[in-house]
Amino acid sequence: MKVNIERSDLLKAMSRAQGVVERRNTIPILANVLIEAEGDSVAFRATDLDIEVVDKTNGMVNQAGATTVGAHTLHEIVRKLPDGSQVELSDDGQSGRLEVKAGRSHFSLATLPKEDFPIMATSEYASNFAVPAPTLRRLFDKAKFAISTEETRYYLNGVYMHSADGPDGKTLRCVATDGHRLAQIDDTLPEGAEELPGVIVPRKTVGELRKLLDDDDVQIAVSVSETKVRFSTPQITLTSKVIDGSFPDYARVIPAGNTKRMEVDAAEFAAAVDRVSTVSSERSRAVKLSLDEDRLILSVNAPDSGAADEELAVAYADEPLEIGFNAKYLLEIASQVDRENAVFMFNTAADPTLMREGSDASATYVVMPMRV
Amino acid sequence: MNVQSPNISRDRRVISQLDEAAVNRIAAGEVVERPASAVKELIENAIDAGASRVEVAYASGGMSFVEVSDDGTGIPTAELPLALSRHATSKIDGSDLLNIHTFGFRGEALPSLGSVARLSIETRFWEEDTGAAYSVEGSVATGPKPCSRVRGTKVRVADIFYATPARLKFLKSERAEAKAISDVVKRLAMASPKVAFCLTDRTDGARKLLDVPVETGALPVALAARLGRILGREFTQNAIWIDAERDGLQLYGMAGLPTYSKGAAVAQYLFVNGRPVKDRMLTGALRAAYMDVMSRDRHPVAALFVECAPELVDVNVHPAKSEVRFRDAGVARGLIVSGLRHALADAGHRSSTTISGATLGAFEPERPQAPVYQMETRRVPAGHTAPMPGFAEASMLSGRVEARSADEGSYEPEEGLSPSTLPLGAARAQLHENYIIAQTTDGMVIVDQHAAHERLVYETLKTRMAENGVAAQVLLIPEIIDVTQEQIAALEAIAEDLARLGIDLERFGGNAVCVRSTPAILGEVDAQAMIADILDELEAEGASVGVEARINAILSRVSCHGSIRSGRRMTADEMNALLRQMEDNPMSGQCNHGRPTYVSLKLADIEKLFGRT
Repeated sequence: MKVNIERSDLLKAMSRAQGVVERRNTIPILANVLIEAEGDSVAFRATDLDIEVVDKTNGMVNQAGATTVGAHTLHEIVRKLPDGSQVELSDDGQSGRLEVKAGRSHFSLATLPKEDFPIMATSEYASNFAVPAPTLRRLFDKAKFAISTEETRYYLNGVYMHSADGPDGKTLRCVATDGHRLAQIDDTLPEGAEELPGVIVPRKTVGELRKLLDDDDVQIAVSVSETKVRFSTPQITLTSKVIDGSFPDYARVIPAGNTKRMEVDAAEFAAAVDRVSTVSSERSRAVKLSLDEDRLILSVNAPDSGAADEELAVAYADEPLEIGFNAKYLLEIASQVDRENAVFMFNTAADPTLMREGSDASATYVVMPMRV
Repeated sequence: MNVQSPNISRDRRVISQLDEAAVNRIAAGEVVERPASAVKELIENAIDAGASRVEVAYASGGMSFVEVSDDGTGIPTAELPLALSRHATSKIDGSDLLNIHTFGFRGEALPSLGSVARLSIETRFWEEDTGAAYSVEGSVATGPKPCSRVRGTKVRVADIFYATPARLKFLKSERAEAKAISDVVKRLAMASPKVAFCLTDRTDGARKLLDVPVETGALPVALAARLGRILGREFTQNAIWIDAERDGLQLYGMAGLPTYSKGAAVAQYLFVNGRPVKDRMLTGALRAAYMDVMSRDRHPVAALFVECAPELVDVNVHPAKSEVRFRDAGVARGLIVSGLRHALADAGHRSSTTISGATLGAFEPERPQAPVYQMETRRVPAGHTAPMPGFAEASMLSGRVEARSADEGSYEPEEGLSPSTLPLGAARAQLHENYIIAQTTDGMVIVDQHAAHERLVYETLKTRMAENGVAAQVLLIPEIIDVTQEQIAALEAIAEDLARLGIDLERFGGNAVCVRSTPAILGEVDAQAMIADILDELEAEGASVGVEARINAILSRVSCHGSIRSGRRMTADEMNALLRQMEDNPMSGQCNHGRPTYVSLKLADIEKLFGRT
């Protein structure tokens, strides 16, 4: 194998590859990236046995072939090469070394046989459809903060993607929850997604998927089966197993009867929450919201270090209410609001609170109060 | 209704009364399970007979014989045959089984022994002129015939289990049985400081294993002396005296300092009304009391005595009386936990003497390489990750020792900081940016600044949490956890405590509970595992400290981050401030993991190092 690649192309491909490769591995081959040169492109394939990413980059293939080499090392090398350099990768197939040459630098890296590299089995996808990158970006970005990190509840360690009945017909819906808060984001169901089986996309896959979604003009081809999900652009294919578990019946916990409505500028609200919570040094900072007519007082009381309060002008016309929340949770949901005001719907101090972005019903957030 | 179980045989056996030998053998199975249980029964008889000296001897782990002789009242000749019949006793009259003041009362020991071993008794009742000998072999009695004995009773149990070979097979090695015997003798000796004990192994020759005289003085003095003889001087030097009372229960005894601990729960003794008992409640109570000051893999050493009116405790639970049942187990546990906690708080300043011993040992010239016990492996000052040989010397020469903050100027050693009034003295120097050296009236103190400050921060956090309560995070999706009926009852019994710690739960159908909130400080928790832990603890120890322990673990981690690091230079004022705070804080003697925060060396010890004594 002998190929020439632009450093910037190689860097992009390698950063995607090393994102998938785990830092510590008990199976040596999993630390490697499989490089396959054929025709006029070079494919970089990396896997952790749950996720596989294949990145096809343009390159000048002088001699077709394939080998595997340590992903993190190659990535580091490419990162440190000067911008604009041409990188030559060559492997004589016998010495067990990959020669990396760029300008006057020369590296000789140990390889492992390409035959040992695990290739993810292909599967029959039940549903194939295309979504514009910005749509997918919104669906996952707004939901992912609520993904659980508690490994014992593995079925919450991802974003539940499925089709649902929204207020305006069928939707493509992403839901995530950690048991304390929940995010439910909708978009119109794309053509071909009618048969979409509900799948839980793991946290790590959500992170890797994000790297595919930066370009606004790209259509992402999505394929879903009961056990796998695949996202691809013309250049990159990300295949991932989905979490084998059933996502809880989240619809039950989204409150429908909350009547106390508060509308507030999301950015001002977030800034104020952040400010008052400074006085508390505890790990779970509790912020109290005291609501009266068109007035919100945020307060924190930490007897040892002090107290803080801040008043905000809000739109509120119901009876007075006092309710406590984890400051971090409030900040995280408030930061999901881009343009509109945040609209909170309260019930009592012990019931779930609902938040929407203005009058937009396609994104719903639920947060549980804290009892102080 | 013709269906018949195949196990039911057509020819029915006749129900008949077992003969006395069989009855005794069955009873013996409950009372006497190994030579050590024979020893226990006989020593208890001796103590009940008012003995002031009990001598125990055995050979081949007690399998060839055990012998217990005392100088008590003895048994009247005429009553000897009766003493060996079942349920015959002089200790109670049978009218009130709840009011028992003696060790024995069931009247089972002697007949049981007589049925499984060759039993011989020599006794002289104090009002009689001659002694009497009596022996039983396979339930066949010989005697009584006259013998010469000055006073008291001697009981010899030979060839134990010769009559029940099945049980003989279940005995362990000679060594294990011998250890069990010595264990029994030690436990009983701890409980009776006013009785002298002597234990001899006569397997070949006579090897004296234990010989403790009658202890003199008032109870605390005598008991401390006796515990010292049995558990070792080191224990009494590193233990605190416990004395507490609640609802008619009285607790006293000695408990080891947190810095003096063992790797297994082997040296934990509980005595109820002078009777050594094994109770899982004790393990749990000790764990709860030491939770804060000892890491989970270390175990405290303690000998605790609970005294109460006989009707508050049922000793008739177990034939060998090794278990008791309190009328209110919660009170007993609470008494032990709070008694220990208070005593520990009062003694929070004492680090164990084994530590200063170890420190001095480390200084001894013949092993200069020995590490200064455990601290340095753990806290290498930041930036000094690989202490090179010669590093210590270099740093000595570089003159940080002299520092005593002369360069900081503001510090005057004499400015009213007289060491005489301060237990931890006045700070004199900081070594290796981690150890504060302070001078006290009669010696010096070395403080680990990080460990000490960490503890102080931790205590503050805990106080704050106690004052403010634990905030509860309500769950969006309540966790439904499958448990049994009994477990639901157990959880409901402690529901109030759990609510205080932020866990709200309620019954959910017949076989599940629903958890509605968890402690906010724990973040996202696995409620299922948490409840399972609580239930395990409830079952094993009768109470649960799991949630509190988890919260404390978080606080401990927070305090570790919020405290002065090793490797930070401190000014003299800062060091003195730290020492004063430590004096004010009852628990500052050890860090959150039970390691000492300071070591104190007496002037006399230092002088010894230089051969000036």
